[in-house]
Amino acid sequence: MRIVVLCSSPYGETGCAVAARMAQSGYVPAGAVTLPAGDRGTLLRKLGQWGVRGSLRYAWSKLAPGPADQGGVRNPHLETALKHAGKALRNLHEVARAYGFPVFTCAGQNSPAAIAQVRQWSPDLLIFTGGDILRKELLAVPRYGVLNSHLALLPEIRGMSSPEWSLLYDVPLGVTIHYMDAGIDTGPILLRRKFPHAADCNSLNDLRNRMIAFGMELLAETVAALDKGTISPLAQADHGKDTQFFVMHERLKAEAARRLERTRQTSLAGKANA
Amino acid sequence: MSKADNSPAHDPQFRTHAGLADHGPVTSLQPETTQEPNPERSKAAKVMTEAAGLLRGPLRVFPLLLKLGSDKLRLSFQARHLYAYASTLVPTETALRSTIGWIHAARRPDGGIAAYYSLLTGYSESYPEVTGYIVPTLYDFARFATDQSSRAIAEQATRWLVSLQMPSGAFPGGLHGDNARPSVFNTGQILFGLVRGFAETGDANLLNHAAAAGDWLDKVQGQDGAWAGVNAYRGSPHTYYSMVSWALAQLARGAKDDRYSRTAERNLDWILAHFQPSGWIDGINLREHPTYLHFIAYAIQGVLECGVLLQRDDAVRAASRSAWVLLRKFESHKHLLGAYEPDFSRGLRFTCLTGNAQMSCVWLRLFDVTKDLRYLNAGLKMNELVKRLLPRHGRRGVMGGVAGSFPAWGAYQPLRYISWGCKFLADALMLEERLVHEFEAASCGS
Repeated sequence: MRIVVLCSSPYGETGCAVAARMAQSGYVPAGAVTLPAGDRGTLLRKLGQWGVRGSLRYAWSKLAPGPADQGGVRNPHLETALKHAGKALRNLHEVARAYGFPVFTCAGQNSPAAIAQVRQWSPDLLIFTGGDILRKELLAVPRYGVLNSHLALLPEIRGMSSPEWSLLYDVPLGVTIHYMDAGIDTGPILLRRKFPHAADCNSLNDLRNRMIAFGMELLAETVAALDKGTISPLAQADHGKDTQFFVMHERLKAEAARRLERTRQTSLAGKANA
Repeated sequence: MSKADNSPAHDPQFRTHAGLADHGPVTSLQPETTQEPNPERSKAAKVMTEAAGLLRGPLRVFPLLLKLGSDKLRLSFQARHLYAYASTLVPTETALRSTIGWIHAARRPDGGIAAYYSLLTGYSESYPEVTGYIVPTLYDFARFATDQSSRAIAEQATRWLVSLQMPSGAFPGGLHGDNARPSVFNTGQILFGLVRGFAETGDANLLNHAAAAGDWLDKVQGQDGAWAGVNAYRGSPHTYYSMVSWALAQLARGAKDDRYSRTAERNLDWILAHFQPSGWIDGINLREHPTYLHFIAYAIQGVLECGVLLQRDDAVRAASRSAWVLLRKFESHKHLLGAYEPDFSRGLRFTCLTGNAQMSCVWLRLFDVTKDLRYLNAGLKMNELVKRLLPRHGRRGVMGGVAGSFPAWGAYQPLRYISWGCKFLADALMLEERLVHEFEAASCGS
């Protein structure tokens, strides 16, 4: 099974961890495609979003290693995947050197250069870990399709801020591995599993970190199952409902956080009673 | 004030012309039978009048340059993205107080509220239409902030409005002092103030005035349910007159008289026939002007609120379909265009801030009605967008004001801070506060 990993940035931990995890489970990527780390558009966007001070803090958080007790990894739940020969791999180039695959940096994942490079690798599967909205031309390149790990159960919650929307709508938290198509999270589903550790999460950030790691494991499981031919995609049955959600405003996020905390407290009380 | 200045504030009279406003008084309220002036000549006259405003008040050049410069700078650095408006930079209550402060400052000696503050010519005369529908906003704020001064201003404004009513029951179009004729739209908008004034004070005289206005609206309504002819903008029927139906539905409730509901419902039926599968609403009908978001939002808001009051699910569904189309556009592009072409296929690239605030009101109310949190989310983010563009400093007429367009030289009400923009933003912010608190309280209880 030849796989190619699509990353939003060489410093994106999720992309690095997925590429490393695939290699660890015997599927060393044929290559990885990444957007550049600091292009002008991104810098301007971040400046507009957070101001100078916030942007510097963001840049530092990306470039500096995470806390020492997390092995230099910002998402502690990705630590195992990112550890190699006793040290944490900090960017995609380090992961590529460690496991021996090429990295291609491009201005856009849909750019002719990126598509030509991916074609050259002739992958069976692409694994999307972030970046642009993919166009049909790129989606059509791999033999099987493009895999995405969506941090909610599909088709109930599509789109952005999906764990938070799941909490607000009392939809069980979960992760769905699906093929991407031209719509937003509308492609056929390969694996859909409830997230069992919600009661252990002490913040939305912690929840998201754990779900990313959970999704990474499901991706590895899916790739292996596809390789063995023991899994097949299932079209989404959404009965025509528009279930796309959008980036959540912080006032609603605060409520989602309160609901997560209630879940935790209920679980703790249950454990204490037991 | 020359006639050329007397543009009805709700009307789509403003286009840029050589960098200046073409503040043409299309007098919606002028019947078609009057002779149309030469457009080129009147455009030149308007530009001259506006420019002369700077000669009369040369110090206005500083706020003008500041505004042009800051908007240019903001445009250069602006990069909209996924998280553009997901966090609060300006507290809602601060923005609300400054916006209401702008409305207080725009009060004229006669008790009415000015239509706008122009960066070229200063404050306009009082504008009856906008004063009418600002009255409920002032009462709402008085309750929200226990602010007696807002209540006093609302009462004074209502007294002034009553003094303008014509013997027929109609209210005049245009700015105060204009040689105005009866106007369906303005009468409907003023009705909001009278009905609310009655509800707040219990003054039966206000209800009588409101009923007279309602009777006139009923009398001049066409058999098809639309309002056209000499009392309508350019003589044509318009779907954005759904606002009039909403006001009539309120009157029916206040006066406990079904006649007004029936008038409203006839108009609602006529408007609903203009809703397209794409969510677009035909018949807004601004003639040679673009279809500004302000008018699209009027049409949607009027249909939604009328549908709620008259318990017409078909109207609520139609309004929500159009509102959803605009919500998806806002969420995908992080902005709405200032004006759209049929079927929302494309439009003019500027921001109509009033239209944005109105859409926020629509989305927030749709959350209220449907409990779909995506509407609340979109309303919150739209409020962030508009709040960030409120001037926090500056002279009276500028600080806390909602500009007609962003950038200031955009096509809708260029170089002006407009009172109805402040009204709709204040409504949206108060709705936000109420709905978020209710939602949080319900969540705690569940």
